[in-house]
Amino acid sequence: MALVSAPGSYIYVCTRLRVRRSSLLPREELLRMLNMELSEIIRFIGETGYKKEIGELSTLCAGTDLDLIEMALSWNMAKEFHKILEIVPEGLHGFASAYLRRWDFQNVINILRGKAQGMKAGKIKEVLIPAGDLDREFLDRLLTEDSVEKVVAALSGVRFSHIIEGIFAAGITDASLMTLENELIKNYYEDLAIVAGSGVKGGEIFLDWLRMEIDFKNIQNLFRLREYKEKGDILSLMIPKGGIPVADLVRLNGIEARGEFIDALKKKAGFEPLQAALEDLRKERPIHEIEIALTRVLLHQMSFMSKMHPFSIYPILSYLEEKKYEVANLRTIARGKKVNIPTEEIKRYLVI
Amino acid sequence: MALPIEPTAVQTLAALTPDLIKASQVGTKAIAASIAISTTAASTALAEYAIGTAAVGATAEKPEVFGSVLILTVIPETIVIFGLVVALLLII
Repeated sequence: MALVSAPGSYIYVCTRLRVRRSSLLPREELLRMLNMELSEIIRFIGETGYKKEIGELSTLCAGTDLDLIEMALSWNMAKEFHKILEIVPEGLHGFASAYLRRWDFQNVINILRGKAQGMKAGKIKEVLIPAGDLDREFLDRLLTEDSVEKVVAALSGVRFSHIIEGIFAAGITDASLMTLENELIKNYYEDLAIVAGSGVKGGEIFLDWLRMEIDFKNIQNLFRLREYKEKGDILSLMIPKGGIPVADLVRLNGIEARGEFIDALKKKAGFEPLQAALEDLRKERPIHEIEIALTRVLLHQMSFMSKMHPFSIYPILSYLEEKKYEVANLRTIARGKKVNIPTEEIKRYLVI
Repeated sequence: MALPIEPTAVQTLAALTPDLIKASQVGTKAIAASIAISTTAASTALAEYAIGTAAVGATAEKPEVFGSVLILTVIPETIVIFGLVVALLLII
């Protein structure tokens, strides 16, 4: 009955995104690319969905092969995300655009970090994804500013400028940049929760996804805190509104023994795949492997949920997330190849 | 004065000839045929609506699937054909 009751536009857009998802680079292709040189990678991705960007940039981009790949990936991802906003139906447009606002704070953080470290504008631009409300022209204007203070001044009036001004009021330091990132992430999820709870049809499903993603982020944070033996103000580092209450996460962080920590976390983890992944993490592993293992579970769960709710926001979010990780994987391979990291080592950083 | 005698139900039925019975069934068969065709047509419409929308979505992304999705779109036509056959059998 779900098929019949779903509006035509939902069926149309969800099918389109399923087809798009099937066009993403499969695992085998990514593994094959591990054995290629950078120039071969450019040729290879130039024959896939990145053809247009590689074609345009090969004449425009004066930098190295890596610069070309990075720019092409960023442009392609921004283009894809904007395209999705054009095709999503009315009811899901609000959710999709709210979701894509994550790139706004991500871009701002990247610009601020880059400026603080004295990086060139061109280098910062390679990692910017203008997929949110802040468009490419606005980001380019920010890049032309020559100091962090001027970037902050230019940001006045954007959705989260009050947070930036509040945190930088006492001065711009590395610590304040970290605090800013945490606060912007929290603000982003709060905004999403407001959108999900605004009474729009499908909001409950969106809220479920939101809780799940926040839980994954918090669990990743818990592992990071354990890795770096951080015992400071944990409460401020956790994102509220997840399925696991923040107070429980703080208690979990207090557990010293790894086995006990995993057991307690498994009790809080709502679904079986996450519990199985946590069981695998019982033995000590590098933090990036833990994060990748958890990300794999999140993607798997999103894919599962998109099958459970075939005509909802899930197929859209699932595609957006998988596209994001495809680009991240391609970046990892390209960067790894550039600095001659062994293939096996690069493979450990891939979300496949 | 004696009242006129009303014919009983048994007497009325006995008075019906086979031709009269056949004639009275025509209307009932027509109603049954119309139900058969209209319900199957509505079901086909619903199925084709969903499949057709998905087919357009798939073709927009991959034009080469047009042939396959066209076949998938017309498969629900079989439902209305069943309805048509039943309706014809009822009427003829």
